[in-house]
Amino acid sequence: MKLVRKSEDAFVFDMGKREKRLLLEVLKLYPLIPTAHHRLSKTTDAAPLADNQKLLEEALAERKQQNKRQLLAMLNEEQRLKETDAGCQPTLNPRQIEWLLQVVNDIRVGSWLVLGEPEERSGKPIGLNTENARYYAAMEFCGYFQMALLDAFEPQS
Amino acid sequence: MVETVEPVVLPDIETEKQAGARSELEPGYLVICWDDPVNLMDYVTHVFQVVFGWPRKKAEFHMLQVHNQGKSVLTRQSMERAEHYVHELQSYSLHATMERDS
Repeated sequence: MKLVRKSEDAFVFDMGKREKRLLLEVLKLYPLIPTAHHRLSKTTDAAPLADNQKLLEEALAERKQQNKRQLLAMLNEEQRLKETDAGCQPTLNPRQIEWLLQVVNDIRVGSWLVLGEPEERSGKPIGLNTENARYYAAMEFCGYFQMALLDAFEPQS
Repeated sequence: MVETVEPVVLPDIETEKQAGARSELEPGYLVICWDDPVNLMDYVTHVFQVVFGWPRKKAEFHMLQVHNQGKSVLTRQSMERAEHYVHELQSYSLHATMERDS
């Protein structure tokens, strides 16, 4: 996927047929991070914060529901992902790119959690098997998709 | 944090400007972003720019601090404001918390 052209409020991307199929499959995983995964504080002596942890989880759940509604609305817009001979050319405004980044990164980080939080630097490799392989693919694809979205914000040469 | 693109020029270290005197912000909470091996460097920089309205250079400075030192103190705020920022950062799935500034 790559940016074709942009104006102040419209970013037009070029997406191949395979990329579109992959994206639609991967988006089905959203939301993937459990709301309880995020903690408000690491310290145990922050008593006032404990009361607010539940509120944070509720707020995050609400945000994800909102993102999910927007996602479904976008996917159901026939024109936005209408196929051409080469694929499709979705148009997004900056606000839509922001929530799409949140959605895609939720899937990326959620996939990483499902994979057991692998980390090459500390010698904790990914233990791939037939059950979790699709999450590895989702994590990698989301990273690729994120970079394509972020590149759209770069000044054009 | 996963490496994507190394910035060619490291940003200057800027002095944080407090919105008010330290006593005016008491009790203070530090908003901290922690390193993880999954969020992309460019993505973290982008999120800092969006959430805090920072220029690219400052956002990259804090992103590199997270990457190289394991964490970065992003701002010091009242409890309410700190909660707001943590919520925003976590909406982007960054590993962010708030800790009381002792």
